Amino acid sequence: MTKTDQNIPDFSDLTCTTLMIRLKMLLKKTPDGIPVECFVRRDQKDTVEVPFSRTGYDVSVTKEDSNQYRVYLIKKGAGPGS
Amino acid sequence: MKPHFFLLSGPVTQERLTWIGDCLKFYFIKLNPENFLHHTKTQQEGFVFLLTGDALYSLHDPGTVRIWEAILSLPSVQIICDRKELALRGISIEGLKMKLPDQVIDHNRLGINGQPSFWNDVVKIARQHEQPIPSIIGYLLMESPYMNRPSSHAVKCLKAALDVHASVELYAYLDGIHCGHAGQVPVDFENIGCGLEEISEKAAKRGLQCQMVACTRCAAARGYGIWDDGEGQVISSCIIKPFKIRNLNEIVKRFEHNHIILGENIASIQVKKENQPSSFLLQEDEYSPPVTIFITHTPYGTEMAFGGISFALACAAMGIKTRVIFIENGVYALTGNHTLKKDTRFFNMQDVIDAVAESDDLQLFAFLPSFQNRGLVKNPKMNAVFDIGIPELGQLLFTLPKGNRAGHQRVIFF
Repeated sequence: MTKTDQNIPDFSDLTCTTLMIRLKMLLKKTPDGIPVECFVRRDQKDTVEVPFSRTGYDVSVTKEDSNQYRVYLIKKGAGPGS
Repeated sequence: MKPHFFLLSGPVTQERLTWIGDCLKFYFIKLNPENFLHHTKTQQEGFVFLLTGDALYSLHDPGTVRIWEAILSLPSVQIICDRKELALRGISIEGLKMKLPDQVIDHNRLGINGQPSFWNDVVKIARQHEQPIPSIIGYLLMESPYMNRPSSHAVKCLKAALDVHASVELYAYLDGIHCGHAGQVPVDFENIGCGLEEISEKAAKRGLQCQMVACTRCAAARGYGIWDDGEGQVISSCIIKPFKIRNLNEIVKRFEHNHIILGENIASIQVKKENQPSSFLLQEDEYSPPVTIFITHTPYGTEMAFGGISFALACAAMGIKTRVIFIENGVYALTGNHTLKKDTRFFNMQDVIDAVAESDDLQLFAFLPSFQNRGLVKNPKMNAVFDIGIPELGQLLFTLPKGNRAGHQRVIFF
């Protein structure tokens, strides 16, 4: 894990609904164009991927470990190069 | 077409009955004036109130009886009472029955065992299709056994559902998950755990489906010693065999289907349409019945308000059109400025409401008369929650969201 990774919150202990609430709070506080990142479990990634990609966010998920995934969320059209 | 129905088991206050009555008046006068003019006094396309438990006291209390009389003066409104629960409480409804003998019913339907039961009336209405067409009846259980009655209602209801050859589903949420705890040995009450196991066995013998799903978050919080094998399979050593602990999304997936889901305090609002689809066939978003959730509890006294919002968010995330209405004591979630220490990992209700307010398929409303009744004003920062009165509440209850083609709307009181 890099130094930057250490600043990324680990939400693996959250239940799926709480994770959604926590992410929505983070996204609300984060200015457009700045991504929100976090670590989640395998079963949490679907909870994030499907609803957020349907509701105006670009979502990318990368596998970090057997049961750890890194989620990257940014408002559609606000990312680099848009 | 089946009637609209309310199944009420908890206390029915004057406040609740007043807004329900006002919504019915709106339905008949504004939305269906032709029914108002041609009084049919039949169940068809009318309203049926199924009353059991402490809801029956509303037929005794002079303040609520007055409101019931006004409601019963509307066309096609019936009350079906749980006769056994009336007798248990020593409540007499003879006065109302004498005035309105066709509309206040306390003789319950006979089951296949030849015994009358209120739950036979309930499942008769909840079964969407006449036998032998397959049907499913669900029950959302949110309270613990023994301390509360709904678990006993759930067992009776699901047993009656099997008797009309309907498949059954139980969704255990919040404290409802305790109903599936293994090793229950009540001395003075019927054993809820055994009752649920019997339902599962009976369903299997009759070739009917039976699912009992409990929410992972609620189970973990209550010490059910769950662990995830990494494949989404959740295991617990202290639950009865038919119970499966699953992510809330798994429960909500069942809400995508078109069957009737009962609970302690619920309503089902029918929508007239031709060729109503079978509950087994359809689960596309547009056919999923929309869900309206009434938040009626104060925000922090119990988990009900948070549970309601979490449930709503999960429904919306699945693409189910969902409305949350803060009403009665639920409006306390929207008053004042809620604050928590900045370094806490928890969040207050207003932060949650603010965060979820812009979710797709989720709309939030505040019922203004509930503020007025309490001398409260809404926090102006909660502007993502729209103010509504009776006309808007009536519209929300009796019309489907745009583009939705479900046969009915689910209404759940939290």
